[in-house]
Amino acid sequence: MSEVQVRGQAGSVSSVLGGDWLRLLRPWWLSSRRRLASRDRRERIRSAVFLGMGCVFWALTFWGFWRVLVYFQGIESVGELLAAKLLSMIFLTFFALLIFSNVVTALSTYFLSDDLELLLATPAALLDLYRAKFFETVTSSSWMVLLFGTPVFLVYGVVFGAGPLYYLALLLALPPFLMIPAAMGVAIMMLLTNIFPARRARDILIVIGLLFGVGLYVLIRFLQPERLVNPEAFSGVLSYFAALKAPSHPLLPSQWIYQVVSPLLLRFQGDPVFFLAMLWSTAAAFLILGGSLAQRIYGQGWSRSQEGKKARFSRSAMADFVVRFLVLPYPERMRPLVKKDAMIFLRDPTQWSQLLLLGALVVVYLYNFSALPVEQAPIDSWYLQNLLAFLNLGLAGFVVASVAVRFVFPAVSLEGKAFWVLRSSPMPVRDILWGKFWSSLFPLMLLAGFLVVASNYLLRVSTFMMILSVGTILLSTFGITGLGVGMGALYPRFHVENVAHISSGFGGMIYMILAIGFIGGVVLLEALPVYLVFHARFMRQPLHLWEYATMAASFLLLLSLMGAAFWIPMKKGLAALEEMEL
Amino acid sequence: MIEIVHLSKRYGSFQALEDVNLTVQPGEIFGFLGPNGAGKTTTIRIMAGLLRPTSGTVKIAGFDIRRSPEAAKAILGVVPDRPFLYEKLTGTEFLRFLGSLYGLHGPSLEGEILALMELFELEEWKDELIENYSHGMKQRLVMASAILHRPKAIVVDEPMVGLDPRGARLVKGIFREQAASSRVSIFMSTHSLEVAQEMCDRIAILQRGRVIAVGTSDELQRMAGSSDRDLESIFLRLTGGEDVQELIHALRSSR
Repeated sequence: MSEVQVRGQAGSVSSVLGGDWLRLLRPWWLSSRRRLASRDRRERIRSAVFLGMGCVFWALTFWGFWRVLVYFQGIESVGELLAAKLLSMIFLTFFALLIFSNVVTALSTYFLSDDLELLLATPAALLDLYRAKFFETVTSSSWMVLLFGTPVFLVYGVVFGAGPLYYLALLLALPPFLMIPAAMGVAIMMLLTNIFPARRARDILIVIGLLFGVGLYVLIRFLQPERLVNPEAFSGVLSYFAALKAPSHPLLPSQWIYQVVSPLLLRFQGDPVFFLAMLWSTAAAFLILGGSLAQRIYGQGWSRSQEGKKARFSRSAMADFVVRFLVLPYPERMRPLVKKDAMIFLRDPTQWSQLLLLGALVVVYLYNFSALPVEQAPIDSWYLQNLLAFLNLGLAGFVVASVAVRFVFPAVSLEGKAFWVLRSSPMPVRDILWGKFWSSLFPLMLLAGFLVVASNYLLRVSTFMMILSVGTILLSTFGITGLGVGMGALYPRFHVENVAHISSGFGGMIYMILAIGFIGGVVLLEALPVYLVFHARFMRQPLHLWEYATMAASFLLLLSLMGAAFWIPMKKGLAALEEMEL
Repeated sequence: MIEIVHLSKRYGSFQALEDVNLTVQPGEIFGFLGPNGAGKTTTIRIMAGLLRPTSGTVKIAGFDIRRSPEAAKAILGVVPDRPFLYEKLTGTEFLRFLGSLYGLHGPSLEGEILALMELFELEEWKDELIENYSHGMKQRLVMASAILHRPKAIVVDEPMVGLDPRGARLVKGIFREQAASSRVSIFMSTHSLEVAQEMCDRIAILQRGRVIAVGTSDELQRMAGSSDRDLESIFLRLTGGEDVQELIHALRSSR
């Protein structure tokens, strides 16, 4: 530790003379460039699909914000105020997201990255290392915000007819706005690694981050920000204006960037130059302070991150007991695999902490149903309740697919580099894949069944609709699970460092598209029979023979779709896994 | 016990293995020598069923690894060059899991696990998560897992890499004992001439995917027409030419 520190301090003299840190970035730059210019066909298709999805998302964001801002503009007297409030909230959200994303990225770039051992063994100055890694951190943690922030800022400019000064100010203000949270994130990470070993720090951060995300999501849902556009919901005009004008903290950089752009966008008084200077000077000061902090504590943090590998963890007897109980319903030959997966799941916070997200999703989902004012609707509430229950099927299917992309799709990839253990054992590949399928199916069925039963109960739907919904969602779960496990085997990612990244890759994206298509198909095929039943009841007429025949044909097609969604991906996944070379 | 017949493997335009033919008898320790990139790991991965050959067959006790993979794998133990394991399991849990994949259960398995943990000097760490093990400890755990189900043949890729002298001596002793008393065939790749000379009954030399010589140390010496018993000198004599200079250089530098 002390060696690193001493070298860093001695080296800092030389680093003042020039940009040596740029040289340290060269391997990163070269490999990034090669990745972009890859000639591999598969890689190119992936890039094209990602680019296409990015463009669609970008265009949707643009369109969505366009609609919102044009609507705001139409509201007399408070329209601009609302747009301004929204902009300030966007900057605040970006700022919070950036701090968190930078903390997580800094852990990888400054403490866990493979090139660090090599770099620290070279005579490169610690300050240069800090700067090079800072650049890496800013780039990899901020591109997402930049990509999805750009359409928002553009829409503001277009809708409010801003001049070129607005765009120039934005261009000048964004770099320091990205650098400040990065410097803060890196500093927070350095302090954390001085307290916890790096591996533990990551576990703690993942849980904190998820709690933060879940909390934010639930809070936004329950606070109902959409009420802001509905002034009748407030007791008086004054309280509405008070809610609207409540300022963000004046010391927040998100408030400064808002102060830079808002006078150039809306007809507000302001001092953009002053706030631009605030942003740049703070970014510069944070960089210098960060460098100085790195020279003081980075060495110790790095050293502790190496010790972390030897930190002792205790086993939990409770977890063992739960696992032993959980594997009982499975066939004897699949139990070892299910047990192993369950134990690893319970011990790996990067895996189980995603359950928090799931919990939030379920709470918000059910809350939305309980809050629906069905009785106040102007049409027959029996009809509406059943129609909603039917739409709920699609929504529940979507929730189950979103859960499956995080927990089922990665099932094969989670074997990781240890997959050789299974492949060199006499356990047939078929058993491995089906083991993964069955162990994913039951928990997913439980969730899907609970979602549909609970939401239908809240909607007080008819028995026919309840049976139909539960039957459909349970059968669809076979398709969603088969698709997940099969696609996971077709697009495995054995080498990812963070398991949360498995589902965010190309295969995960294709899985989501197919799963949504499948759920859409199920809803569509069931729409006709349900419509016929509803129509007959509405008109108080019995069902005709041709209606029964149509219903039977629809259900037959539905079952074929479900069978295909479950069987084809599993078959293809099995073939891919059997042919896979390790 | 192990039979490799006309084995070839291509990666795109690169010929990694070309017409490799080898046989290993029961109880024999067979050394597979060659510099980095010669095709040793490719051969071992094909034998373990992790890679598919372009042509040719590998049979373990008569079972073709491609046609009857389950039967062949049931009597084979594998030690890869890098010990990637389930980091969130303890050593004992890993061995228990592996044992169950080979159909082993109950008190006899528990007894076997305990004995192996002691044999490989891991008993103090048996209930620790594998992520806390050092490289050498993981290597020893993989070796314990390879003999847990009492295989008839073991394939080992670079067994001594990452082991300290004490660990290396322990492993050498266990391999010798397995071959002598349990008649286990051991197919061992290495780029260390000392290890090959000290442990192996017969040695094959692989270069650029081809077997260029097979035999005991004495046979290799005779083939080379050398009076020197040192394996390094035998290489030089046996093969000659520029290619061999390169090979010798690589072998020297890897020691």
